[in-house]
Amino acid sequence: MSTPVTVYEPFRAGLPPMRQYLRSLWSRRHFIAEFSRSELREQNYGSVFGQLWLVLNPLLLSGVYFLLIYIIGGASDANRYVHLTSSLFFFYLIANSLTGGVKSITAGQRLIMNTAFPRIMLPISASVIAIFKFIPTLIVFFAVRTIVGAPYSWQMLWALPIFLLGVFMGLGMAISISCTNVYFRDIASLLPYITRSLIYLSPILYEASALSEKMRTLEIANPIFNLLDAWSQVMVYAQAPSSSSILISLAWATFIFFVGTYFFLSRERDFAVRL
Amino acid sequence: MQSVGLTYTTSVDKKPTLKARVKSFGRSGKFSRTVNALDDVSIDVHYGTVLGIIGSNGAGKSSLMRVISGIVPPSQGRIEVYGSVSTLLALGVGFNASLTGRENVYLGGLAAGMTRAEIDNQFDEIAEFSELGEAIDSPMRTYSSGMYARLAFSVAATVKPDILIIDEALSTGDARFKQKSLNRIKELRTEDRALILVSHALATIEDICNEVIWLDKGKMMARGNPAEVITSYREYMHVRKSASSDEDV
Repeated sequence: MSTPVTVYEPFRAGLPPMRQYLRSLWSRRHFIAEFSRSELREQNYGSVFGQLWLVLNPLLLSGVYFLLIYIIGGASDANRYVHLTSSLFFFYLIANSLTGGVKSITAGQRLIMNTAFPRIMLPISASVIAIFKFIPTLIVFFAVRTIVGAPYSWQMLWALPIFLLGVFMGLGMAISISCTNVYFRDIASLLPYITRSLIYLSPILYEASALSEKMRTLEIANPIFNLLDAWSQVMVYAQAPSSSSILISLAWATFIFFVGTYFFLSRERDFAVRL
Repeated sequence: MQSVGLTYTTSVDKKPTLKARVKSFGRSGKFSRTVNALDDVSIDVHYGTVLGIIGSNGAGKSSLMRVISGIVPPSQGRIEVYGSVSTLLALGVGFNASLTGRENVYLGGLAAGMTRAEIDNQFDEIAEFSELGEAIDSPMRTYSSGMYARLAFSVAATVKPDILIIDEALSTGDARFKQKSLNRIKELRTEDRALILVSHALATIEDICNEVIWLDKGKMMARGNPAEVITSYREYMHVRKSASSDEDV
């Protein structure tokens, strides 16, 4: 018989046939886009401004930090303001992947229990939503940095690979945490404290150069520290990032993505009986 | 399917209080029970077959459907599936109530494995079958449960796979739409397709299927001619032929 044959046997931890899996995932790419778009629309459903909140959110956040630095702080430190807004917006790209990813499997129970599809689509959708939310913040950010007179240069093209690295990092984190949440639901309650800690441990409220050499060495253990530092160098000072920042970030992103994806793919057939 | 079994563990939390949780911390294994959803079930379904599955609540019908469609892995045995499978285990899977009916046709169709081009081509047919009229452009939050189910069935019935698995999806909408749904299912019966149908509506099963399986507590009690298996099932359940046992009410 020429029709494709699929064999189902008792679950054993291990990777599924990857070629078939990736083909199935690719064939569902339109569903990922449509699903992400619908989730995003639902988040702002019923509000007066609707999807305008995607721009209003970063605009208001930027306004709050303008108030904090220029009005309350009485400083006119444009670099600090631009650093804070750019780093915070970029941080939210990763944090939104994590917060969207953590319950992507457990919240997708109805879909999982009634349809056979590559489960990794759900944390991927969480990362796509994080990208959809991040793009309007870039528009607001470039408007802000132009207004305060921050410099521009060709080195700013580094922003593109660093952005892709951020997406890669966020995706790996979303995949890892979504799978972890199936077996250890408490992770969803711990997540706000994890993201809050990451804000303080990463160069967002301060610049990386403000830390002592010893602290900077310890920060290698923070997956997003060097990534945010590289982003700030490019977006605030229009300078090329240090190669060590890029390499350490790439190593972390690759590690998180592959370990998380292996863990996810080797367990995903077990999800339906765990939900 | 060869000697397929499905066993899973569910947690038993008789007192979901903070005190009970503190007392049971680290001893979670004590508060779980094992369920044998399927026990040594072996069946062959060939193209051209319309297989009906009957049984009481908790008999393992939905578990069997989920195992065949690859949603849940079996605990023992082996399943070989030749061709593409589409499942209609619940209506409106993938739908988002904040979106309009039109947008949900795309979302539900894509969730069911259709391509955007296929949905484009069949959109008018889906909309017409659902009989929603202008409501197709209203958010699904505003739909009645019948309207919701009609659109969901219309989308699902458009998918034409090699093997179609339908679980309790015929109890949709009013009597006229039920008849229309039944006719659509009949249209899907072809020599190059296998249909597996789960329903409590015994008359419908007898009308549509050419073979029936009766499951009870995860075990296959009988298999064969629809009329004979349904009669045995009725006798076992002490249920006579009546409107309540023949159709979904």
